[in-house]
Amino acid sequence: MARTYLYNNHIKLGAKMVDFAGWEMPVQYTSILEEHNNVRKNAGLFDVSHMGEIFVTGADALNFLQNLVPQNVEKLIDKKALYCQFTNENGGIVDDLLIYKLKENDYLLIVNASRLETDHNWLLKNKKAYNVNIENKSDIYSMVALQGPKASQILSEIGIPINEQPKTFYITEAKLLNEDVYISRTGYTGEDGFEIIIRNEKISELWETILEKGKPYNIMPIGLGARDTLRLEAAMSLYGNELNENTSPVEANLSWTIDKDKTQNYIGKDIIMSQLKNGTDKRLIAFKMLDRGIARHEYGIFYNNEEIGKVTSGCIAPFIGQNIGLGYIKTDKNLKVNDTIQIKIRDKMYNAMITTKDFITKHNKGN
Amino acid sequence: MAENMLCSSSHEYVYEKDGYYYIGLTDYAISQLGDIVFVELPEINSTYTKGEIFGTIESVKAASEIYMPIGGKVEEINEQLIEKPELLNENPFEDMWLIKISAPHFEEDSKDLKEYSVYKEEVE
Repeated sequence: MARTYLYNNHIKLGAKMVDFAGWEMPVQYTSILEEHNNVRKNAGLFDVSHMGEIFVTGADALNFLQNLVPQNVEKLIDKKALYCQFTNENGGIVDDLLIYKLKENDYLLIVNASRLETDHNWLLKNKKAYNVNIENKSDIYSMVALQGPKASQILSEIGIPINEQPKTFYITEAKLLNEDVYISRTGYTGEDGFEIIIRNEKISELWETILEKGKPYNIMPIGLGARDTLRLEAAMSLYGNELNENTSPVEANLSWTIDKDKTQNYIGKDIIMSQLKNGTDKRLIAFKMLDRGIARHEYGIFYNNEEIGKVTSGCIAPFIGQNIGLGYIKTDKNLKVNDTIQIKIRDKMYNAMITTKDFITKHNKGN
Repeated sequence: MAENMLCSSSHEYVYEKDGYYYIGLTDYAISQLGDIVFVELPEINSTYTKGEIFGTIESVKAASEIYMPIGGKVEEINEQLIEKPELLNENPFEDMWLIKISAPHFEEDSKDLKEYSVYKEEVE
């Protein structure tokens, strides 16, 4: 199993380690619930070094990326981030990712650890005649996420004053610990926060500095357990659960990431445009449990005793104190928000209600 | 700590007190589960044989089934755990029994169970 450059830091902090996508990662340090709530109330620091950093540069970089995603990369201004997906010929999702425009024809792609190799191959396969350089620098860089309402104050304590911090969904190139770093104001928690990319050799020092300077703000290191409950409470999809190669962005409730007016072609465009126009057979919904029970991945979703879909993620939502989930249902029943469905948990039916995807409202707006 | 505590390989314990048998989860099981957020316990007067599933325990991450270390009839359940499953994390594990049963076949059913100290050595 691979280890990040923070492995020894995790062990020192007493983390419980698990296998995640071939990486030995901390699942929790103290308690998932405690870590979760601390990110909502104060701040948390995550090791996300396992994620992939791929740089795409060259004269055709923009056109190359335009061919891969339903978003319109052309609209991206310098230093701005774009959430999008690589789509395949069937409109399915190869991976979801962030594209940062560093400058003209110079892009940074942050992809999922579990999909890094697939993504890299996907880029190489689709390079064709495009004049681009595709550099996977994941072995050079490590990354941490600093998240929570106190994140901005903590970042200023370690040397990036508030007025030099990037705005929400922007990236900046800065000096931190005498090192060139990328700092973006992004995350996977529903909170304000930053993701910092730095060379492997400096990540341990950065980790320790943030935890030290963050002490007065009650910062805690956060494991993958709380990372999952935080993203689910923020109703964000996880590749492998909600997203896969057989599910399109339209089905995944990501139509807002499809530029309907984009003139350039991209892989899977015909199917995606037709789905936007004609609808799909299944769609992603969010729900909350009405009865006492916790929905889990792969449990059946029922309506009038008919199985209409499967749960893709479910858990207790620690901060809002409800049991919630995401799942796919067939669209032919025309079910809407506030309709009651059932989740089959250990051979018994439990009532749940379809909700909007705002389990938490963003209570701490970045800048 | 009950001196006569016996443990199963699936991490349930059982001890006898005043003629009844108390079944719960070992400290090892609880530490492996982490934050416990849901407990489902059986109906009073239901009977189970050794090895049968009698309940479910859920941590933040996953649901796990709980097995009878010995067979018997459910006389009482630890009601407070239904409303407050976190008590399992917060209190000594031997106090947080899940069910109290009568067990007419204890001698026979308990043959393969291990004394707590032996069990503890094996899991750690």
